[in-house]
Amino acid sequence: MEREINMKTENLTSRVFNDMDPALLSFIKKHVTSFIKWDLLYFFHQNPHTIDTVENIARYAGRAPDTVQRELAELARSGLLESSQMGEMVIYALTPAPQMQAKLAQFVEASQDKQFRIRATYHVIRDMCRR
Amino acid sequence: MTEKSQRTSTSSLPIVQRVPTGIPGLDEMLHGGFLPQTANLIEGAPGCGKTTLGMQFIRYGALHGEPGIILTFEQFPEQYYRDAAAFGWDFRALESAGVLQVIMSSPEVSKADLESFNGKIESLVARIGAKRILVDSLTHFERMSQDPMKLRSLVYGFLNSLKRAGLTVILTRESSILLGDEVAPTSGANFSFLADSYIMLRYVEIESAIQRAIIALKMRGSAHDTHIRQFEINSTGLHVQEPFEGREGIMSGTPQQMTQSFIKAFINR
Repeated sequence: MEREINMKTENLTSRVFNDMDPALLSFIKKHVTSFIKWDLLYFFHQNPHTIDTVENIARYAGRAPDTVQRELAELARSGLLESSQMGEMVIYALTPAPQMQAKLAQFVEASQDKQFRIRATYHVIRDMCRR
Repeated sequence: MTEKSQRTSTSSLPIVQRVPTGIPGLDEMLHGGFLPQTANLIEGAPGCGKTTLGMQFIRYGALHGEPGIILTFEQFPEQYYRDAAAFGWDFRALESAGVLQVIMSSPEVSKADLESFNGKIESLVARIGAKRILVDSLTHFERMSQDPMKLRSLVYGFLNSLKRAGLTVILTRESSILLGDEVAPTSGANFSFLADSYIMLRYVEIESAIQRAIIALKMRGSAHDTHIRQFEINSTGLHVQEPFEGREGIMSGTPQQMTQSFIKAFINR
């Protein structure tokens, strides 16, 4: 009985928090799997022509390089950033793909809305708990 | 939008192409503008107008068929949009129109990128057909090496890669003093040898008020005005005015009337 109530509550919560544009929900689940990634994506949206190393991007974003390194690599794997080797340096830049840039712009624009942010935060935390 | 020098229209000298800055008074000082595909160093104290001069150069090109790039090593692009907006210049609109791009990077990455085949910056130059670039600022190169010779070599390579990409370059560099002569560059690096032209901006104190002065100290391959001129930055940007009259010691930061100098030199001996 108690388990049934818990499941019902979870389903209800999921329904409430999943109540957003499916494209945005999919974007969050695929790319925004931590708050640092959220920060980095916002940074690259604001500064779309940044080409730099982990250390410098961390400095611009006001984060520690160790914290940012893994997140940048994951964003590159998920296709939002491009990484390239330049001598001994690994360089990151926003993908030039217009479709991906448009999705990012849609996410950043939606993030201006408080209700959207609450829903997105729920998904980020959920994803972080699962990892 | 490269223009022919005025002097060539009245003589049989070969046609000299110019890249006008669009800054009232400065183009006259430079006899029409910078020479194409040259590196032009603007040096001055913090806040004296180096970046404004560079932005004005880029904007003028963007509006006259010569798209431009701002390569920033320090300020976020947002800062340029804001600073430009203060003069009524809409840099976002120029970016949307594909005639301007603000890139944020670091000296080491930009240099490596430009030296690589088909790097991101060179691809961008090709994509928007860029002819001008503002590098803001060269001062950041100084952290790449403590060795002046190595630093000079690094900057030399960087400048050549920009010229190879067909760009006319404005480089800003901060001088360490607010007023007066700079005794020696702080890091021992002297980039003026590497630049094709060298323009110095200075604050000067005249009759208890701070004014701005500009002088073109060097212009390789061209004659130029060697007067020290006053300039102001108003709501529409930078405007170079007439030479300082009847004063000397302008670049010392505390000029005096020439008559006083004569009195000091010849009467109060």
